[in-house]
Amino acid sequence: MTRLLTILTVLALVTGACAGTTPSTTGGGASTAPSAAVKPTVGGTVTMVLENDVIDFDPLKSRAFVDRNVHYQIYDSLVRIDETGKIVQWLATKWEASTDGKSVTFTLRDDVTYHDGTKFDAESVKWNIERYIKTAGSQRAGELASVDTVEAVNATTVKFNLKSPFSPLVANLVDRAGMMVSRKAFEAVGNPDDFTRKAFKAGTGPFMLTEAIKDDHMTLEKNPSWWGKDKDGTKLPYLDKITVKPFTNSDTRFTNLRTGDAQVANNIAGKDVPTAKTESSLTYQERPALSFRSLIPNRAPGFVFNEKRYVKAVSMAIDRAQLLDKGYFNLGAVGYGTIAPSHFAFDASFKPFEKADPEGAKKLVQEVGQGPLRFELMVSAGDPATLTIATLIKDQLQKAEIVADIQQLEFAKILELQSAHTFKGLTFVGWSGRIDPDGNTYDHIYSKRPFNDSSYSNADVDKLLDEQRATSDQEKRKAALRMAEQIYVVDDPARIWLGFGAAQLLTSKKVNAPPAYPDQIVRFHLMSMAAR
Amino acid sequence: MTQYILRRLLLMLPVAFLVTILVFVLIRLSPGDPLVIYAGEERDPATLEALRQEYGLDRSMPEQYVSWITHAVQGDLGRSLRTRQPVLEAIVERLPATIELGITALVLSVTVALVVGTLSAVRRNSPLDLLATGFTLAGVSLPNFFLGLILILVFSLAIRLFPPGGYTALREDVWDNLRHLILPAITLATASMAVNMRQVRSSLLDTFGQDYIRTARAKGLRETMVIARHALKNALIPVVTVIGLQIGAIIEGAIITEQIFSWPGIGKLAVDSIGGRDYPVVQAIVLISALSFMVTTLVVDVLYAWLDPRISYGGPQS
Repeated sequence: MTRLLTILTVLALVTGACAGTTPSTTGGGASTAPSAAVKPTVGGTVTMVLENDVIDFDPLKSRAFVDRNVHYQIYDSLVRIDETGKIVQWLATKWEASTDGKSVTFTLRDDVTYHDGTKFDAESVKWNIERYIKTAGSQRAGELASVDTVEAVNATTVKFNLKSPFSPLVANLVDRAGMMVSRKAFEAVGNPDDFTRKAFKAGTGPFMLTEAIKDDHMTLEKNPSWWGKDKDGTKLPYLDKITVKPFTNSDTRFTNLRTGDAQVANNIAGKDVPTAKTESSLTYQERPALSFRSLIPNRAPGFVFNEKRYVKAVSMAIDRAQLLDKGYFNLGAVGYGTIAPSHFAFDASFKPFEKADPEGAKKLVQEVGQGPLRFELMVSAGDPATLTIATLIKDQLQKAEIVADIQQLEFAKILELQSAHTFKGLTFVGWSGRIDPDGNTYDHIYSKRPFNDSSYSNADVDKLLDEQRATSDQEKRKAALRMAEQIYVVDDPARIWLGFGAAQLLTSKKVNAPPAYPDQIVRFHLMSMAAR
Repeated sequence: MTQYILRRLLLMLPVAFLVTILVFVLIRLSPGDPLVIYAGEERDPATLEALRQEYGLDRSMPEQYVSWITHAVQGDLGRSLRTRQPVLEAIVERLPATIELGITALVLSVTVALVVGTLSAVRRNSPLDLLATGFTLAGVSLPNFFLGLILILVFSLAIRLFPPGGYTALREDVWDNLRHLILPAITLATASMAVNMRQVRSSLLDTFGQDYIRTARAKGLRETMVIARHALKNALIPVVTVIGLQIGAIIEGAIITEQIFSWPGIGKLAVDSIGGRDYPVVQAIVLISALSFMVTTLVVDVLYAWLDPRISYGGPQS
């Protein structure tokens, strides 16, 4: 009976989700118009400054967030999100789960060609997904672990057969796991290590990668035969060319915008935000992102934070509002767990540590009866912004008579200790965020999962997280995720969450900027030059 | 002389070999797993293990060294662990930017130092000399990361004359290349310029006291001829030594300057690779830096003989 109910709810939700995401105009999610009310200008070149160089153009190998800024321009995924975080159709116009929830069938657009002229079809999807699953060392294998086989039913229909029902699958296909690469372009390069550096004209996206010089710049040229159109039926994209320049120093990025040498940035330091907001030549946009900020305790036996009351005491003693104000320059939002404001399961009333409670924390430490709490707080050396935050935390904890000894170590060393689960106290870790709350939670919290650096294990949490994966009933998922969050944040805390990041978009007034998206990626296909 | 040069070149081989062993061991002894660093936030142990095997990092250190050195002597320096770019290609791709910046800084440093240093010596204790001394003090005292930021603040943000960073290749746009080059070149040149200026001045002042200068003047030679023909050439030997050593300093300085101005050269590659424990890239950069140091020292030694015929490398004269 339970099984039948699960199947029915999977069917109901997936069908409902599809119905809800059908846009009224052609071009899927691309139908969102630029912010300017005037008719967009076609043509023009913009320069974007990125916080780092793109390492992997091949979605299969990509590990860094920064890569996605270019991936989203050169590749199309099967599905995408709109600016509110809702999944919308993209290369797939419809998707439907089977009655037993063990397969999902996608209907594909039939007017799409790769930059190299080859046709995009179901066979192409099958080849891409199988490559992501079967290649040794694939960074996408984990996101597609639920997929057993892929069948090309006909040219525009592709069926994903799953090992077991897995509700976050469609959300996982929004990003790199759902990006389509031309088989011809891939095979023409031969060596996969070369392809990841020279994926020229390999996608179906609104722009084509035509040049990539390491640490210098990348050139993305307009794909004149892209399928997207705006509300008025004008073909997208509007821009002719994007030059992307990597500048690791945030001051340099911001100065480039101020001097007019660049027109677009999506990552500037919190200290520069007030200037960005008042600079007459710039437009600054910000919205809550899917990313979170956290402190990781080592909960493994033999380490001080094996005692869950210590983790809770630290969480209680931290004044998150002050951290956001003084440490993060009000960039982002106060938060307590993994479920971000743009996630469907977000609970705005979930504020377990809204006010810092040093007295309560002190009592909790006393209750353990092991004397005063003292631990190492590891900070990456040469990172003044994080050191400021660590110092603020140290001061806040002092009010609860908790001593945090700040240890400045090389970033590489911190990562090594964290991965080996041998760090003694707390480390800082951020997460760039995923579309589905499962992507922000499961691998970080579930016992023995790859990103579970705190060695956390709670059978009830594991059960709830498995349950939300198996059902597509949004309400059931929401309930399970929230119940789990209460446990891993408050009752038996896995980490100390500090808040959520912000999605920034800083543009010159010379361009009509699209809205900022919660995934922090710039939608260049909606950007145009401002009319003179 | 040819024999001397050949001998010196041969001697470089064991030194280079020792350098490779040293850097190979040291970089591996420093904490941090390159694969964990490059995995970023997506550290799936199964994926990391597959990559460890693929890159040969699961083998013992001696095995890895033998494999690397065998390929290196055949010109294959391996692939970057981070970008999978062949290391040689990565270095060759970035060399033009570093060479352009280094040569411009060196030319700037030497030209200004020769002209101002000579004028300072000729017009000793004049306002120009005092100004040059003040500049020398400031130039040596200012760290180049600070000078770079000040230049960006003044010339990029306030006056908006030059871009605050970045690079345009010479072949793409000469004017834009120069616009991007000026601030980093000044930043890189300033410290060495100050030292060179001081060296030229004191060396010339020494030479002015020599008998042959008095003789040259007594012959009735014009002062410019005395300085250019007689004084300057003799005063240049210690200057050449300093400049030779400074080529190495400029390579070091480029590491910081390239970071400040996002100049896509070897220095930036070195910083990124050391931080990320990109073993093959660090090994190659250190090897190439060591070789360039050795070659520079050899060139300086050969220049001595040209500047002062009394210096001979041909062994004891019979």
